[in-house]
Amino acid sequence: MIVASEVTMTPRRTFLTGGVLSLVMLMAASAAAHHSFAVFDHTRTLTIRGTVTKFQWTNPHGFLEVDVPQPDGTMKHYSIELTSINMMQRNGWRSNMIKAGDKVTAVVAPLLSGEPVGLGLEVTMADGTTKPLPVPNAGSFKRTPEAQ
Amino acid sequence: MKARLSWLLPLLALVAMIALQSGVRAQNTPAAAVPDITGSWERHGAGPGARGGGPRDATIPPPAPQPQLKARYAKEWQDRIMAVRAADAKGEPLANNYTDCLPDGMPTMMGAMFPMEILQSRGQITVIEEAFTQVRRIQMDKPQKPFEDVEPGFYGHSVGRWDGDTLVVDTIGIKENVRFQNMPHSPQMRIRERMKLVSPNVLWNEITIEDPVVLEKPHTYTVAYRRMPDYTLLEYVCEDNREYADDKGLQKIRIN
Repeated sequence: MIVASEVTMTPRRTFLTGGVLSLVMLMAASAAAHHSFAVFDHTRTLTIRGTVTKFQWTNPHGFLEVDVPQPDGTMKHYSIELTSINMMQRNGWRSNMIKAGDKVTAVVAPLLSGEPVGLGLEVTMADGTTKPLPVPNAGSFKRTPEAQ
Repeated sequence: MKARLSWLLPLLALVAMIALQSGVRAQNTPAAAVPDITGSWERHGAGPGARGGGPRDATIPPPAPQPQLKARYAKEWQDRIMAVRAADAKGEPLANNYTDCLPDGMPTMMGAMFPMEILQSRGQITVIEEAFTQVRRIQMDKPQKPFEDVEPGFYGHSVGRWDGDTLVVDTIGIKENVRFQNMPHSPQMRIRERMKLVSPNVLWNEITIEDPVVLEKPHTYTVAYRRMPDYTLLEYVCEDNREYADDKGLQKIRIN
């Protein structure tokens, strides 16, 4: 579940006053609890170029399934996790914007585990238009240049 | 005898007419108009930049104060928060309700992470939160039930009434595992809400969580919503949830 709220990486202090433990909660007032992004690498992005096998318009998340040709001639499959389709729809995304067979380029924050899954940050579609995903606090993901 | 009572008949008829007419008038007099809060709303004044810079917007409520938990529960709460942070820092977040596509429940759902709809109908006000299609039914002008008569759930049992221009709602019966900001609560938790239009298109909801077992004192905070005049809530169904909790309680993603 990805929601529109601040994700703060700021360390938080705790202190003890009059027998009552108080916590300095720097979290946003809204929807503080949500799906954690911590499984994704915040320090680098991958640029994935490939052919769409499926554009899955579902909640709690959409998915873009892509086959990516590798330098050695093999094919590697990536699953790109998107946000809730409700957020996507409110930000101008439509289920018919991408279809199987389309050639796309996606910038993703990869899973820390190394498995072929990434959080989609933006997608360049077959017609050349680039559309960002409404990932909350998207700026917390450091974009790195495409590896050559 | 007959002659002596005959003068009374017109008088009785007159009294009966007046009584009847005043009754009819009372029935026809509309109840004091209540504010129209029906429609779609989105959270107002939350998220990045809401409190930063610029002149203060008087329709944005002040930040929530710190909840004051009794020492024993404060420790449990702090331990949970520290565990969540430590797990996030390791890139192995702890599973929570969202991992299983379970809704927020009360009072978190009133934070309106996605747009929210309010419907005013005879005897009931209904609140629908788009995320997880969460639905609350607030029964109007009914007494609240005793705690022991309410089976705990995600949204609880809510009764409401209009206090002038303010909708006052009382909710009990929230499941122990349905938590607001990870805070523990007892079966005696009660949530009081006071909803009021602070401008034609901004609604404030002052929420007070009472829990004599867990809290040192009631915790009150205010959230605001702004109207979305042209928005119709979208459906939300957890159709393909690839997240799951592993045997260590960590949030994982199913790889297709």
